[in-house]
Amino acid sequence: MNGPAAPAVKRTGIMLSATRYWPTEIWKSPWSLPRYRAGAAWLAGILLGICAVGAAAGELSAWGGRLLALLESTGLPAYATAWIWLLFKLACVIGVIVANGLWAVWWERKISAHMQSRFGPMYAGGFHGWAQTIFDTIKLLLKEDVTPAAADRVMHALAPVIAIAPCVMAFAPVLFGTDLAAANLDIGVLYVFAFAGVSVIGVVMAGWASGNKYSLLGGLRAAAQIVSYELPRGFSVVPVLMFAGSLDLAVIDRAQAGYWLGFLPRWFIFYPVVGQLSFLFFLIASVAETNRTPFDIPEAESELVAGFHTEFSGMKWSLFFLTEYGYVLLSSFLLAVFFLGGGAAPLPGLGFIPSWIWMTGKAMLMMFVFLWFRWTFPRLRVDQLMDFNWKFLLPWCFANIGLAGLILYLLGTR
Amino acid sequence: METDRLIASEPGPELESDTMFINMGPQHPSTHGVLRLGLTLSGEVIKRAAPDVGYLHRGTEKLMETRSWSQCVVLTDRWDYCSAMTSNLAFSLAVEKLLGAEAPPRAQALRVIMCELNRIASHLIFLGTYGIDIGALTPFLYAFREREMILDLYERCCGARLTYNYIRPGGVAADVDEGWIAKCREFLEYLKPRLDEYDALLSFNPIFLARTRDIGLISAETAVHWGLSGPNLRGSGVAYDVRKAEPYCGYENYDFEVPVGRTGSCWDRYFCRVQEMRQSARIVAAALASLPPGELRTKAVPRVVKPAAGEAYAHVEASRGDLGILAVSDGGAAPFRVHVKAPCFINLAILQEILVGKKVADVVAVMGSIDIVLGEVDR
Amino acid sequence: MKTPATREAAAAALLERCSDARLAEPGVKNYLTVRLASPKDLLAAARLLKGELGFGYLEMITAVDWLGPMKLEGLVSSRNPNPFTDKLPGPPVPPAAGAGAPYRPVLDLLWSFGNLRDGVKVFLRLEVPRDHPEVPSLAGEFAAADWQEREVYDLLGVRFAGHPNLTKILTPDFINGHPLRKDYAHEKDSYDGD
Repeated sequence: MNGPAAPAVKRTGIMLSATRYWPTEIWKSPWSLPRYRAGAAWLAGILLGICAVGAAAGELSAWGGRLLALLESTGLPAYATAWIWLLFKLACVIGVIVANGLWAVWWERKISAHMQSRFGPMYAGGFHGWAQTIFDTIKLLLKEDVTPAAADRVMHALAPVIAIAPCVMAFAPVLFGTDLAAANLDIGVLYVFAFAGVSVIGVVMAGWASGNKYSLLGGLRAAAQIVSYELPRGFSVVPVLMFAGSLDLAVIDRAQAGYWLGFLPRWFIFYPVVGQLSFLFFLIASVAETNRTPFDIPEAESELVAGFHTEFSGMKWSLFFLTEYGYVLLSSFLLAVFFLGGGAAPLPGLGFIPSWIWMTGKAMLMMFVFLWFRWTFPRLRVDQLMDFNWKFLLPWCFANIGLAGLILYLLGTR
Repeated sequence: METDRLIASEPGPELESDTMFINMGPQHPSTHGVLRLGLTLSGEVIKRAAPDVGYLHRGTEKLMETRSWSQCVVLTDRWDYCSAMTSNLAFSLAVEKLLGAEAPPRAQALRVIMCELNRIASHLIFLGTYGIDIGALTPFLYAFREREMILDLYERCCGARLTYNYIRPGGVAADVDEGWIAKCREFLEYLKPRLDEYDALLSFNPIFLARTRDIGLISAETAVHWGLSGPNLRGSGVAYDVRKAEPYCGYENYDFEVPVGRTGSCWDRYFCRVQEMRQSARIVAAALASLPPGELRTKAVPRVVKPAAGEAYAHVEASRGDLGILAVSDGGAAPFRVHVKAPCFINLAILQEILVGKKVADVVAVMGSIDIVLGEVDR
Repeated sequence: MKTPATREAAAAALLERCSDARLAEPGVKNYLTVRLASPKDLLAAARLLKGELGFGYLEMITAVDWLGPMKLEGLVSSRNPNPFTDKLPGPPVPPAAGAGAPYRPVLDLLWSFGNLRDGVKVFLRLEVPRDHPEVPSLAGEFAAADWQEREVYDLLGVRFAGHPNLTKILTPDFINGHPLRKDYAHEKDSYDGD
């Protein structure tokens, strides 16, 4: 050996097992860890900050009114004003859906990570990976868009559009706070359900056009499932409509203002038995409608790889993704409006916080429930899913409607 | 000789017009490796299922014939890579039987500890991946968190985390110290509440029960007919465990039970494994308590192993069943022939019978409950 | 109570029923090994084991090629820097005189039958010539034989008469020959690089 001397290997570390925390050490009491306490303080601070900003900003519907007045004062013709105003509202709704996609994906990752004793995204953006989904979006935009050779090109390209367009349209009458909606429809409930049901055509198209057997199975499952769960979803809300006496979401929202005995909010979920049952049925049917676990059989990744969107990539795929999260948001807002009092404060004396904060907060709570379900439950089988719908959910929805009628008759209100 | 595969890639004349042939694997999220299932579907109901294996065949039995006896232990790690200790042990026992040697008491106890820890680790992988098969994603991470601690223990003892080469003919490779024993006890204490947590999270979850309870029924007769072993056999109610039937490494000195199922459903097989983890923890605790001092390798196994001509068969209760090694020596420095009786390979064959008539979603449930590792199926 | 008696009784019954069967000496260590005289006896012996004697658990089927020490020309090894050969397997070499090893041009098949109730097992052995290895299939009696016989066929080339689907199982279709035979030489194929 007469070459240059090899550099001396310098061992700076010790074996991993000597340094790594064992879960036994971490788990003794999480509150004993400074990092854990700091995280909780951050969370509380962020929530308080949002409330403070909201209280300072006041009702967004008032800001909207002022903006409209400003627009009308510019002297533009009436039809131009109407169009500009319409486009503005459309941009707001699409903005909400897209922003929700960014937020919900990050949040889901965080929730799933903390449920699974992981951290989730921690690097992108610096603070707890807040920019992760933004970078993911950029990645998806830059990704190659692959269309399989066996696919029907036109249908394959059209399917994501047909899936997402009804999702955007369904948001028109959705209340983001008291009187804060893009369109004030007096058949709002019907409108939302009608448009939310159209997306299934896009899903079936995607499954059929992909030229993949797994996609086909996924598309067919999706068709069967979504069409079936439309029924309990619609019927579970009927008691609410009976109590409120209207299909208008704004009326339903206002009907829940006020308190019984001075402290118990008059939300529909607090109506004895009927309210809770309706809430549960609507929640279950909504989870099924949005194809999420435990009802995610159309995209069951352990069986059908990715179901109907197996053959989609890049932006086409992310449109499906956006649709899914859009519908989760829609269901969350509907749950908040139908059952959780909409923009009403949960306790008297909290009215200084504007309704859109309450509404969004309740919707986010419901969204958390959706994400929570996904990371907790196993998946049903397709026939069990149908059995559950037709043999359990639907009959009990009807029974619940009867019960609601009985309550109304006894109360003699209508 | 006809060499066509059992699975036709294209529909043959026997297929009806309303059936669909679907390839599940070799790239599929839940075939647990490179397994290919050719499924003939009518709607979502399976008319015919044909497992196709061999994608991971590395010819280890042939490779062993070119290596010395002690080098072969390395190859055994690569069969059931989720549970490499038991493969090490089976091979080492076969070689010791050929030589007429026996490992010293401390090595025996260490072998028991390591194998049972590995059984826990392997069943944890099963539990996690089975949860994913059924759609529950979270138990997987929990199971891997616990498994990680076992791997840490292994790393500390023998330096490797997956392919250990720890149990060798004549004894074991490394000793454990007091710190290791304390860590191991700590782990066992930690594991018990975790197993109860899995029961609450997964085992008795109504959806999980609905998906697995009456699915993939294997009667005791069918199980014996198909030669199943391990938890798949015990899940059908046959209480056959090599550790009880032909004790090795002093298993007769430990007090443990053999959990058996009632109906042979997927859930029974699943729960057999969960219960086995509890029993394994019990065995490890007992072995730690009575760990004898002494040397680690017997002098009866020389450095260059050259057994006299002869044949020996040793089998152990590996994590996935009865793993047997037939070692044939012609007096040379390399094995003349080694045959592996691989439990996964034999267990997998039953899929073609029990999948028929099930739904596509059940394929995943049934296949997951059989718990195969393709490294051992294909060797 | 009958545990110690079972395997001796089984061996005795086998020796009585099958003509010319004898206890293999030396057999597989620590196990009773019965050597059958001809393939004709196999089905009868298996049925006897399964039916009357309660050995209904077919554990293992395998075979050993006793041709002699493996020829390494066709295989990857440190002794052979050019591992792949274009040569087809040559004719079987005559048995070499080993150090106590009974080299001979036969495939020595081995079945292991278990009795799960008593936890005992009996091995059956049967020699077949290398150039005409054919034995009856047990797939009709034991489903466990299905894949294991395919494996033995694939790796050692034993033909199991009456097997419903005797095809290669582990090695790819383009592999010629039976890799676990001692005179197997690997043919260069598209996976062997340049």
